Amino acid sequence: MSPPRQAMPRAAIAAAILAALACTQAACVTVRPSERQVLSQPEMDPARDAPEEEWHSHVESAREGAFGGHGAAGGGCGCG
Amino acid sequence: MRLRLKTRRWGSRLAALAPWIAALGLAAPRPLAAEDRILLRGNYYREASTRILAPEVVVTKDLPDERFNVGVGYLLDAVSSASIAAGAAAVTGGDRVFTEMRHGTTVSANSKLGDNYLSAYFRYSTESDYRSRRLGASYARDVLQRSGTISANYSYSFDSVYWIRANIRDLRDWTSTGDTNLLQVHYLNLGYSHALHPTVLAGVNVEGIVARGPQDNPYRKVLNGLDESHPLLRLRLAPSLFVRWAIPKARLVVEPRYRYYADDWGIQAHAIDTRVHIRATRNLLFRLRYRYYSQSGAFFWSEDGVFEPDAPYRTADPKVSRFLSHTPGAQVAFRMDPIAERVEALHFLRGAWIQATYNHIFQTNRFGNARLGSLSLSLPF
Repeated sequence: MSPPRQAMPRAAIAAAILAALACTQAACVTVRPSERQVLSQPEMDPARDAPEEEWHSHVESAREGAFGGHGAAGGGCGCG
Repeated sequence: MRLRLKTRRWGSRLAALAPWIAALGLAAPRPLAAEDRILLRGNYYREASTRILAPEVVVTKDLPDERFNVGVGYLLDAVSSASIAAGAAAVTGGDRVFTEMRHGTTVSANSKLGDNYLSAYFRYSTESDYRSRRLGASYARDVLQRSGTISANYSYSFDSVYWIRANIRDLRDWTSTGDTNLLQVHYLNLGYSHALHPTVLAGVNVEGIVARGPQDNPYRKVLNGLDESHPLLRLRLAPSLFVRWAIPKARLVVEPRYRYYADDWGIQAHAIDTRVHIRATRNLLFRLRYRYYSQSGAFFWSEDGVFEPDAPYRTADPKVSRFLSHTPGAQVAFRMDPIAERVEALHFLRGAWIQATYNHIFQTNRFGNARLGSLSLSLPF
């Protein structure tokens, strides 16, 4: 007997579509190269915190039902 | 440090921003930027029954120049005072003292060709009863006169899950209710970020995971002594968005993030993570953080922990229970150029930075409150 499974909530799929639409709207805006000095600062760089994010993601994937955002959960932490 | 400040055509807008730029200067760390660096990190996690010390070293080098970069990393997870069945209820034996070591190695290659960024990596990690292998590749491209960046990231993990019976020599394949101990995970992340304004960057990501194979803990039992049994297939989806808004006069960057998560195990989660980056001096950066997280329980989670013997799925895993958490945190980062300039013997610290992070997790699940921190030192060579 195959037990019942939960369908992926429509809200998740709708949110993903909304995110895609937001992209198309954002694409209407263009910041000229001469206006990007602030944007080029380290605090504005999402990649700056990558090593720390990866550690947090590792812990969160072992302690939370939602994955952390930097890849799939693996072993570690003796937590299965 | 390779800042990408444009030095030509500075207009009146730039003049107005000059104090901000001067203050930011070269101060902040750019971990894993494309340059020759060694990164040393000490990661720490502590909760009532588990302590993890995870030292890490990552070396990156340009070969022969910044268009191509290779890296190698090593991570040790030293887990102490943790049970082999971490999170097990006391009535079923509770957490026994157990020490576990996980060794992880990563090799990576990155390339920048015009507006295209390519990278690939392989990660291998092993512990006494788990072996993980992951292959990953990513692609990113600047678009719309570099106002936007699209990215795609895919990885495939193929892990072998084992079960230690009487002792470490008595190692068996753990197949759960299936016929293989192979856990395969496909991960895909599609992202887009865009400069909405000279001081505002925003982005969206959609992440999806398909996991197939044993996903329960062979040692953990539910309250009435039955083995845990999780579904062999899990489909996971998580859209998220972020904004980074700079306020030059206040030397602040405000960074709100939101992430929604849902899977076919019935878990839905919301994570709101807000950060404020504060530039105190040219070389000193603070960051404050608050994260709110809540999730619903899996459809096979039982609040009383008791399951019928013929229940298709059973779990005692606190991470699939309904709970919420609050995480305040702080970080300080210091660029070591002033020390390098003043002390001749320490000239090698030019371009180096040190960073300390602490987070306190208040959570309502059985893991209890936890502390999460790290200390990093990055040195160019």
